[in-house]
Amino acid sequence: MLQLKKVSKIYEGKVAYRALTDIDLDVESGEFVAIMGPSGSGKTTLLNIISTIDSPTTGEVKIDEKNPHQLKKNELAKFRRNELGFIFQDFNLLHTLTVEENIVLPMTLDGKRVKEMKKKAAEIAMTLGISPILSKRTFEISGGQAQRVAIARAMIHQPKLLLADEPTGNLDSKSSKDVMEMLVNINKQEKTSLLMVTHDPQAASYSDRVIFIRDGKLHSEIYCGESRQAFFQKIMDMLSLMGGDSSDYSSIRV
Amino acid sequence: MTIRQFAFKNVFRNKRLYIAYFLSSLFTVMIFFTFALFAFHPTFSAEGFNQYAMFGMAVAGGIIYIFSFFFVLYSMSSFLQSRKKEFGLLILLGASDRQIRRMVFMENLLIGFLATIGGIATGILFSKAILLIAENILIIEESLPFYFPTMAIAVTFISFILLFLCISFFVAFILRTKKLIELIKGDKQSKGEPKASIILSIIATILLAAGYITALQVEGLDVLAAMIPVILVVTIGTYLLFTQLSVYILRYLRRNKLIFWRKTNMVLFSDLSFRMKDNARTFFMVAIISTVAFSAIGTLYGLQSYLTKGVKDAHPFTITYQPWDGDNEEEVNQDIETINKIIETGNLNAKMESVELNYFNIEDDNYLIVSATDFNRFAMLADENTVQVEPDEAIVVEQSQAALMQGKKASEILMGLNVPLTDGQKIQPSTVIQSEVLPAFYGMYIVNDDKFNQLGEPERTDYTVAWQVQNANTDQIIELGRKISDQIAYRAVVAEYTIFEINRGYGPILFIGLFIGIAFFVSAGSFLYFRLFSDLDADKQKFRSISKIGLSIGELKKIVNRQIALLFMSPIIVALLHGTVALTALSNFFNYNLTLEASIVLGSFALIQIIYFLIVRFFYIKQLIKSIS
Ligand SMILES: Nc1ncnc2c1ncn2[C@@H]1O[C@H](COP(=O)(O)OP(=O)(O)OP(=O)(O)O)[C@@H](O)[C@H]1O
Ligand SMILES: [Mg+2]
Repeated sequence: MLQLKKVSKIYEGKVAYRALTDIDLDVESGEFVAIMGPSGSGKTTLLNIISTIDSPTTGEVKIDEKNPHQLKKNELAKFRRNELGFIFQDFNLLHTLTVEENIVLPMTLDGKRVKEMKKKAAEIAMTLGISPILSKRTFEISGGQAQRVAIARAMIHQPKLLLADEPTGNLDSKSSKDVMEMLVNINKQEKTSLLMVTHDPQAASYSDRVIFIRDGKLHSEIYCGESRQAFFQKIMDMLSLMGGDSSDYSSIRV
Repeated sequence: MTIRQFAFKNVFRNKRLYIAYFLSSLFTVMIFFTFALFAFHPTFSAEGFNQYAMFGMAVAGGIIYIFSFFFVLYSMSSFLQSRKKEFGLLILLGASDRQIRRMVFMENLLIGFLATIGGIATGILFSKAILLIAENILIIEESLPFYFPTMAIAVTFISFILLFLCISFFVAFILRTKKLIELIKGDKQSKGEPKASIILSIIATILLAAGYITALQVEGLDVLAAMIPVILVVTIGTYLLFTQLSVYILRYLRRNKLIFWRKTNMVLFSDLSFRMKDNARTFFMVAIISTVAFSAIGTLYGLQSYLTKGVKDAHPFTITYQPWDGDNEEEVNQDIETINKIIETGNLNAKMESVELNYFNIEDDNYLIVSATDFNRFAMLADENTVQVEPDEAIVVEQSQAALMQGKKASEILMGLNVPLTDGQKIQPSTVIQSEVLPAFYGMYIVNDDKFNQLGEPERTDYTVAWQVQNANTDQIIELGRKISDQIAYRAVVAEYTIFEINRGYGPILFIGLFIGIAFFVSAGSFLYFRLFSDLDADKQKFRSISKIGLSIGELKKIVNRQIALLFMSPIIVALLHGTVALTALSNFFNYNLTLEASIVLGSFALIQIIYFLIVRFFYIKQLIKSIS
């Protein structure tokens, strides 16, 4: 589904900064992968490169056998529309639109029929429990609700790959549990591949596999075994092994 | 929801963001419409109205239109800048370039359409007032009644729909997508200080100083020669002033912790330098545009005052009559008779004096010499000081108008000569006085009556008659002037009427100049408004977080007050300085004191700007406080 080959990123500036070094990564179709690592280790950079927001300095990204960075502009637009979904940590909803309009935005761009969009939005809102707020404007809803709207928007067009940057970063433990369960649901039911950056070991423990990044390099990875509880413990161990105490990982940054 | 609906919703639900763009577009339309309203007025299209004035009006209309184009384009692109993030997000969601361009195109067309309608509507609302003002400035006999301006509406509507259509196409291309990451980070990304170099800062100072000193030093015709280079030097200097020197000073202040870390200074300065890159460009543009406005209006006003004052000075009497060289006595007497009759039929009282002006040969040139009695008769008629001339002296009279001429002043020449008498004696000139009571463009001598009789035969004799009308108001005199100029063209001058005619011919030019100047000035104001309000959201966020650490409302007001004052006042102060220098140069050119005119023009602009500043500040602070509490 997703393949990274020797992806590196150097930020040019007064002093060039090497944010990523030779990252190799494979994500299977329908797999749920969490990415963890200390602050400044390059997680957001990596996600930005995969989501085509930014381009790698060297190396290759392939999604469904296609390299999005080499597509023509129009094809790229279509590719983003059909294959990718993105959840930002700070939601990035358009405040001129209502919740419902925000959700259907990707379909609008695709020129879908209004009836179809309405139906889809209603369905998805039902699953995510945001039906009552559909007609509200974005500044009238809470952070947790906004997060769910962002998720709804990211998945309404059934993307093949869903990318999430700290989707639970702004939420309390109850809401983040809800959100995680929703993501897992989507992952299981729609067979959507999921790549999620998180600082929260609890959230990471919902995944099939956790990848640890440090100083822009792959550090290690662990797979989920039989029990989520044991997985959580393994993640905690790895984090303390990587250094820094675990409270570092509850910071919220994008 | 389709893309079209999306575009419409964007506009209607996001009013505050769009309002600045909308309003400045509306204003532009209104200015153009007002101009058209006036230009297409039936009074002017009736035949007989000055063709040149009509041509001037068409040119001015063109200038306003072209300026509108660039102005709207600038507003639009700065408006789009503030929406980078939104575009980035849409692209990430899979919007193609074409879709985004189409959306912007439709939005822009919608705003353009509404602004055109709104501008015309506001224009109609104020049309009566505008026509009244025009009537007064233009000095036209017919009043400008209100009319339904079908033509003006049509022209404005078509012109601006076309303009917005063009700009919509244009803007869609400006929007060539940059890197997505830049768009998405958009507002977070620091615009930063432009690079400031010491050398360029010094060059800025040198250029400005050199430009100013040159402009203030040159006199007479040299002003024209120096004009273009000085304008260039000062323009570049101004640009460097805002992009280099000011940044340099800010940076110096920042480094100085004693100043920078004092109280609220940190918030104020950090913000200023953070926005300096945007500000510098805006400052430069506003300063230059305002300078153009100030100088244009100042020049026109100064020129008018110069022309009318010249006529008034040269003609201290109500009516002055001077026959031409070939006219015989009969014709002259007939003319005088005619004038007297016209005065009589107007039921006016007038005193009349006439005199022969005799030119005598001194050292191969002819010079005008009059007797003290003759001079005093005219001086008394003009209600000016009489002179007392001793037998052994001659008084030299100079006229202020002569100063425009190249070469030596008349008084210098006359003071260097002696007046020879028939008995071989010579009279020494003693003093120089200024007087316009007798027409003596090249200066003249006044001598004692006894000595005057010993001057011998004159080489040439002119004749001049003056009337001073008593207790008549301006209208009566103008009426008188009209009759006299109808019957005795050129030989008789009624000063009041000549001035009236000058003003009348000058009115359209003044009006057009005023219009364009004001249009420029208003758009400069809009630039500032844009600059300020595009930062409102960032400011809200900033002050919300600072107020949480304990910034009182009073302190907030102080910071914001200074911030806006700097933004609104610094370019205008520079423009006022530029304008003062330009008008000083103009007054050196004419050798005519323009202090009063310059003060009126620059003072009124300064006042308008201050009022504008106070209003904007009030609303800005209100918005900020509302967002905090
Ligand atoms: N535009 C940029 N220019 C230069 N350096 C950058 C830029 N963006 C990020 N960096 C640097 O690259 C490194 C990785 O940044 P990144 O945002 O990927 O970290 P992160 O792992 O997401 O951190 P966090 O967990 O705090 O969000 C950081 O050291 C950061 O300073
Ligand atoms: Mg991050």
